[in-house]
Amino acid sequence: MLSRIKILLLTGFLCLSLGLQAQQSNDPIIEYILEVIAENQSEDFDYTELVERLNFYRRNPLNLNKASRDELQELVFLNPLQISNLLDHIAVNGKLIDILELQSIDGFDLQTIRTLLNFSSINSPTGFENFNWANLKKEGRSDLIVRYGRILEEQAGFNIPEETGRSRYLGTPDRVFTRYRFNYLNNLQFSLNLDKDAGEQFWTTQGRSIGPDFVSASLYVKDVSKFKKIVLGDFSLQFGQGLTLWSGLSFGKGADLFSIAKQDLGLRPYTSINEFSFFRGLATQINFGRFDFTPFISFRRLDAGSSLNAVTNLSEITSLQISGLHRTQNELANKNRISQLVLGGNLQYNYRKLSLGLTAYQSNYSENFAPGNAVYNQFEFTGRRLTNLGAHYNYTLNNIYLFGELAHSVNSGVAFINGAIASLTPQISALVFHRNYQKDYYSYFNQGISEGSLAFNERGFFGGLQYKSGRKYEFNVYTDLFKFPWLRFRVDAPSVGHELFSQFTYSPKRTTKFILRYRIEEKQQNVSGATTPINTLETIRRQNYRFEVQYALNKSFSLRNRAEVTQFKKESTQNTYGLLLYQDVLYNPLSSKLSGNARIAYFNTEGFDTRIYAYENDVLYGFSIPGLQNKGIRFYLNGRYTLKRGVDFWLKYSFTHYTDLETIGSGLDQIDGNLRSEVKVQIRYQF
Amino acid sequence: MIKFYTTLIFTLFSCTVFAQNLNGPRIQAMANAGVAMQDIWTLKNNAAGITSIENTAFAIAYENRFSVKELSTKSAAVVIPLKKYSLGASFQSYGSPVYQELKSGLSLAKAFGENFSTALTLNYHQLSIQNYGNTSTFSFQVGFQYQVFKNFWVAAHAANPNKSQYTETESNTLPALYQIGASYTFTDKLLVTSEIEQVVDGKLDFKTGLEYKIAPFLALRGGTSVNTFQQFGGFGILYQKINLDFAISSHPILGYSPQIALGYAF
Repeated sequence: MLSRIKILLLTGFLCLSLGLQAQQSNDPIIEYILEVIAENQSEDFDYTELVERLNFYRRNPLNLNKASRDELQELVFLNPLQISNLLDHIAVNGKLIDILELQSIDGFDLQTIRTLLNFSSINSPTGFENFNWANLKKEGRSDLIVRYGRILEEQAGFNIPEETGRSRYLGTPDRVFTRYRFNYLNNLQFSLNLDKDAGEQFWTTQGRSIGPDFVSASLYVKDVSKFKKIVLGDFSLQFGQGLTLWSGLSFGKGADLFSIAKQDLGLRPYTSINEFSFFRGLATQINFGRFDFTPFISFRRLDAGSSLNAVTNLSEITSLQISGLHRTQNELANKNRISQLVLGGNLQYNYRKLSLGLTAYQSNYSENFAPGNAVYNQFEFTGRRLTNLGAHYNYTLNNIYLFGELAHSVNSGVAFINGAIASLTPQISALVFHRNYQKDYYSYFNQGISEGSLAFNERGFFGGLQYKSGRKYEFNVYTDLFKFPWLRFRVDAPSVGHELFSQFTYSPKRTTKFILRYRIEEKQQNVSGATTPINTLETIRRQNYRFEVQYALNKSFSLRNRAEVTQFKKESTQNTYGLLLYQDVLYNPLSSKLSGNARIAYFNTEGFDTRIYAYENDVLYGFSIPGLQNKGIRFYLNGRYTLKRGVDFWLKYSFTHYTDLETIGSGLDQIDGNLRSEVKVQIRYQF
Repeated sequence: MIKFYTTLIFTLFSCTVFAQNLNGPRIQAMANAGVAMQDIWTLKNNAAGITSIENTAFAIAYENRFSVKELSTKSAAVVIPLKKYSLGASFQSYGSPVYQELKSGLSLAKAFGENFSTALTLNYHQLSIQNYGNTSTFSFQVGFQYQVFKNFWVAAHAANPNKSQYTETESNTLPALYQIGASYTFTDKLLVTSEIEQVVDGKLDFKTGLEYKIAPFLALRGGTSVNTFQQFGGFGILYQKINLDFAISSHPILGYSPQIALGYAF
């Protein structure tokens, strides 16, 4: 009887949530998923690809009965155990006949199911079953976005006369981004991105780089007989735990324990506007029963600084430039300076709860990498050809998901990681992993989990717990102990550090939420301002306290408040503090042409070390997570208006007003005055 | 040579370290957060935890601190449940012939119903340093455990509250410490335990750990302490009446300390 009531209730909830979804023009579900992820990353990632992926599945639900592991992994909110259990459930019991069946699968709580059904169903069409050219025209959808943005105050770099011969921004202060997509159901996708950053020229006429500043395009075809995926143009590759080969978006340590262990997506078209982390060429994934083979070839040019080697009289690469900015003469000169040819493949074996993979590839550069000239970087890669080999696995044993990867750069070091996610009780899950990356392990497509920026010269052990009781309470805690066996930048000795993170979330109602967070990190670095000939290390301690409340006033308006304090201390100095307080107003009516949100924030920090990052709402596919420092007010207003079906319009206006500064920024970015304001306008046309 | 210096350093500082109290690998693997746990090794750190032991049991343990032979600890423990009381005895030897600490303890524990138990332990400490001399002293420990609701225990414990010491010099004081903590068994499989420890005139530490029975005969354990930041891990194997436990702790600077124990319950 009880279970019957449960099922009835569940049906009610599901219908309700599906009903809601259809009406909403804005997508709070995606916003929410994104926020959870983005909140925990301190760096300014580009989440375009992720939002695009989720938006895509909102419109073209994934067929759960036919979905592969990597397709399910594209839905970031599913954890590896849930995916394993779902695949196993289908393998054992046959296709899902009713969505209610999902509740009988281990690890699927109501909240997960509700979220999942926003992006998937059990009988949506897949494959080229009904393909013909007439359909392509009828079913194909186009999506065009043009975004314009500009900082309203003049920055120094735009105000330098050409005659002076000094470094200056050659282009206009406008930022223009154009994005076109064509989708045919789940099977065909064409993407085109054009981007010009502030200070760049619309049309570069210089040497190697004639045309718009950044162009990225790809054609993606899925499920053509044995070819599961084919990408022509720009693509990304993600295998295993990211030690050997991983390009594009990846997450670091954060509040959501399950997104820390990487879920590889294999081959994907590259649709983001990050100008560095992708391949350009041809790649495909071919399926032979339990085996998947993904060969690829990529050739592209990269931005690099180089210098002349006095001995060989050859030009050498001193640094790869990943910012993608080409505003000054100097930046333009480094643009597309070297070429990179990458070729290789991945072989994957999947059977039930086991998956094994082997990756091998070679990257060739047109010039040698110059050897590091400091003690800390003396083990870095030199030469022009690098071969990488890797093996990775994951296996689900009852309620434990085991994962790991072993990577080797030929003629140099080894890196490996092994870990497990276990659901200890229905409420408690644990994540543990151990990593050991040698100081001479290199990969130019390395995004393994690490405390440093790349997975090398590091050993560590991570342990975390998540307690989740229904929807109401959630508690996440982790500790990470890490050692750097070799010197690092500004750390002139082997060093150690650790991190502790805890977050408690209480949601008494669906629309109300309280979050408490505490984080402490201790690391070592050179004693600053030391006058001794040899640098010694001191421990620096960074602590973070956060309190946040979210609540709905009525069906249209909700509010969000946050208070955050950072505390920073070196052994040799006193504590310094940073404070951020903000008030958000979110307006999301169920059926209205207009929606939007606004924030007013007060910040007061004692400097760079106590700066505070805060995720901001933005126009669709736009992102900002500014780091606030000094003292002042930050405000933004962000709105969306649906002109008519298929035509949407966005506007974001923001400013930061500093009370303790007379100029903002430095160098070419410097603004005279204490106000920095920005406007973004975006229009989308779907046809 | 390095080893010699390490030994020297530890010999000199060991009076203040006092981490030589060997809690047994099961508790150590959970960051030594054992004040609210039930185990034969709670003899060391809140003997109220022995009242749940129904048959006579004994155990021996060996720890190699920071993997240095001269810093090893050997320990033995026995618990004999009587009609109204539980009796416990423990013995511990730390160091090498050059510097050696011995500690022998007798515990008397009593359960009042199913939800409350308390215990008193009397310890005899001996310290001998080669070419220097011997000294000895007594200390006592007292603690209780209370089951608030099913499977949720809170506990408090004081070790050496009267601050007894070897000699008149202050540096030879045995530390006095207080612990409060709680443990909860979520299902038969998962135990989570936490403890706050204050060393009088010393530091405050928070420790937490968990034990997960991956199979009826195999348990995995892990834990963290905050001050100093240390990670712990271990496993236990139960074969009929014999149990074998292993633990390792990782100190960020001093390295790993492995510990192993063998126990038998009649």
